[in-house]
This record gives sequence, structure tokens and C-alpha cells, in this order.
Amino acid sequence: MPKCYRSEAHVIDYVYGELDPNMLPDFENHLTTCNQCTRKVFAYKHVLNLVDEAEEEFIPQPIAPYDLETKLYKRLAEVPPEKSSFYTQLLNNFDKVLLVFKEQKIASICTFAFAVIAIAFFVGNPFRPTPTYDVTPNTAADERIEQYRQQGIQRSLEDILRNKHLRYSDGWDTVSQLNRVKDQAKGTDWANVANKQLKRVQQTSDL
Amino acid sequence: MDKLIDDELLVAQFKSGSQKAFDDLMKRYEQKIFGYLLRSVRNYEDAEELTLEVFFKAYRALNKWEPKAKFSTWLYTIASNLAIDYHRSKSRQPIYMYEDEEVIETRLVANDISSNPEKNIEDKERGHLIRKAVDELSSKQKAVFMLSRYEGLQIKEVAETLGMAEGTVKIHLHRAIKKLQTLLRPLWENNEI
Ligand SMILES: [Zn+2]
Repeated sequence: MPKCYRSEAHVIDYVYGELDPNMLPDFENHLTTCNQCTRKVFAYKHVLNLVDEAEEEFIPQPIAPYDLETKLYKRLAEVPPEKSSFYTQLLNNFDKVLLVFKEQKIASICTFAFAVIAIAFFVGNPFRPTPTYDVTPNTAADERIEQYRQQGIQRSLEDILRNKHLRYSDGWDTVSQLNRVKDQAKGTDWANVANKQLKRVQQTSDL
Repeated sequence: MDKLIDDELLVAQFKSGSQKAFDDLMKRYEQKIFGYLLRSVRNYEDAEELTLEVFFKAYRALNKWEPKAKFSTWLYTIASNLAIDYHRSKSRQPIYMYEDEEVIETRLVANDISSNPEKNIEDKERGHLIRKAVDELSSKQKAVFMLSRYEGLQIKEVAETLGMAEGTVKIHLHRAIKKLQTLLRPLWENNEI
């Protein structure tokens, strides 16, 4: 039997349903006469069927983990929103500052002073201890992240209270969890709620 | 098509302040992304962690995201990158640098499969061996194969997702399928056909 010189890539494309439609009739015609390509088509189809079966068996239906949203809120609550620092902004604009200095002296001093005031005004006081200020504050996004954070706290609290009865013999566990949420919730109404629950749990576990 | 419009609408709603819009997007895609990652990493806890990371990254970047491609494509891009990083950090074996090494690996697994004394391998064990062969694909080959085969993405969409040319996607796909054929040949030469 003469060796067939058709590209193996064509065979794979054909099996995968990716063969150029213009080439399809010609290739199908070729298959009626070429034993080698027919065998290859059969082998590749078989391999793909095997893999499909094994993958189907692995995940008949993907079921996402329980309450992924809550876990996301909790994670968002743990991480402060991304902001560029004052120093990064200053570094980014350093070449501009330098250029001004090369111009006239008095003008440069005035401009520099103005720049410092302007930067302090728009970005925040550079001498404050936490240098995380946004040049273009995206308040909508920040508010939303804060809302998410609070939702996370609320759901954490709900989780703790819901699971409390499962381990009422181990009141300490619930107390430590409530304390953690109370810390997270500092400055919000949820801190009071957590505190109230804490007292209640401590009372019942004292009994 | 409807879904595409809906996604963009939800993204727009999120950008103008609706949290529920993000919840809806997440509900819509968490199963798919989780399934994709579970197949990629084969470990429930890690897949959960990575799924969470996908939505975490998406949430933090969505405000700046421009809908040049589908929202789902973007999620798959994040997921694929995380899966590739995961494999990079987990791999104790040398990364395939040369085709030769790939051939050696191929033979090792092929031997593993054919050396099984049982002629009739139990279905479950067989499934396990087949998935092991899939896991022998390089991370890019596997990503291309999984996205096109089980996530219903067209070659063009796979290319967008992985930031590759369509031709490159096809090369990875061809190599993946050829490699699978080599790896799994003993399985059907032994007891089937
Ligand atoms: Zn032929």
C-alpha cells in the first residue's frame, strides 16, 4: 500500500470538527479510498471518546462550592481597596518637578510650593502616617467595597449564630469567632450586634 | 446572544453601583469556572480557592474592564492564568523544554498504563488513568484542550482567552490530541478494537 502524504493535522481537524469547510468534501472523498487516514480518524475519535467518558465521570455536573458569594465578601472585607500611594504618584511626576527647577529660580520655588500644596490638597497630607491616598478618588467603588465589607461581616455573624447550636458545648469557639468579627466590624453598627451576641453567648455558657 | 447582552448590562449596572449585578454575574459563571478549574487542578479545595480568586480579581478589576471581548472570555482568561501559575508553582517535575523530554514522559505514562496486570481494567481505574494522561499535557496544551472540548469555546475564543494566535492554539491542540493518542494507545490495543 503506498504511503499517504496527507497532513496528520487535517485528520485531527476533521475529527475535531475544525476542518476548513472548503476542504471537507475533498477530504471525505479521500477517506473512502485511503485506509491509513481512515484508521487514523478512527483512532483519534476513539481517544477523544475515551477522554470524554473519563472527564464526564470526573465531573458529571460541576457543582460550585457552597456559598461562594459569602466567601468572596469575606475576602473582600479582609483586603483594603487598592489605592496608589502618595509616593508612587510623586515618583511618577518627578521628571515634571525636575523640569520646573531647571527654569527660573523664583518661579520654580513658587511652583514647587504650589505643587506641594496642591498635592497635599488632592492626594492627602504626605506627612500622615498611612500613605494610601487615591489621586482620583473613586468614591463609588470605595463605597461599594465598604458595603461589601459590611455584607461580609453580616454574613459572618449569621454563620456564627447559625452554627452556634452545633457546638454549644464549645462556647469558647463561638466567642473567639464573635470577637474576631467584632474587631472587623469596628466603627459600624455590626460591632454592637456582635457585642450583644457575645454577651448572650457568655451568659449561656456560664450557666 | 441574549446572554452576551445581559452580561454587558450587568457589568454596566455594577459599574454604576449595583452590587446585585455582580452577584448575578457570579451566580451565572461560578459553576462553569469551578468546573474548568477542577478539571485543571483535579483537587476540590484548590479549585474552590482558585474560583474564589477569579471572582476576587474580577471584582477588583471590573471597574476598569472594557468589554472588548465577552465577559465570560475574560473570566476564563483569569482562570487560565491562575491555573497555569498553579501548575508552575506545583510542578516538581521539570517543565517540558524539549520535545525529547515530552516523548520520554509520554513513554513513562504509556508503560504505566500497559503494565497494568489486569486485562480488564476496572472502569474507575481506567478513568483515572485516562485523566492522568490528560494531566500529562503541558499546561497550555491542557488549557487549549479543556477550553475547546469542555467549555464550548471556539478556536477563536480560545485564542482570545489565552492571548495566543489562532494558529498557535491549533498547534497546541494538535499536539495535545496526538500526545493523548500516544499515551492512551496501550489502553485500547490491549483490550479493545
Ligand atoms: Zn490518506
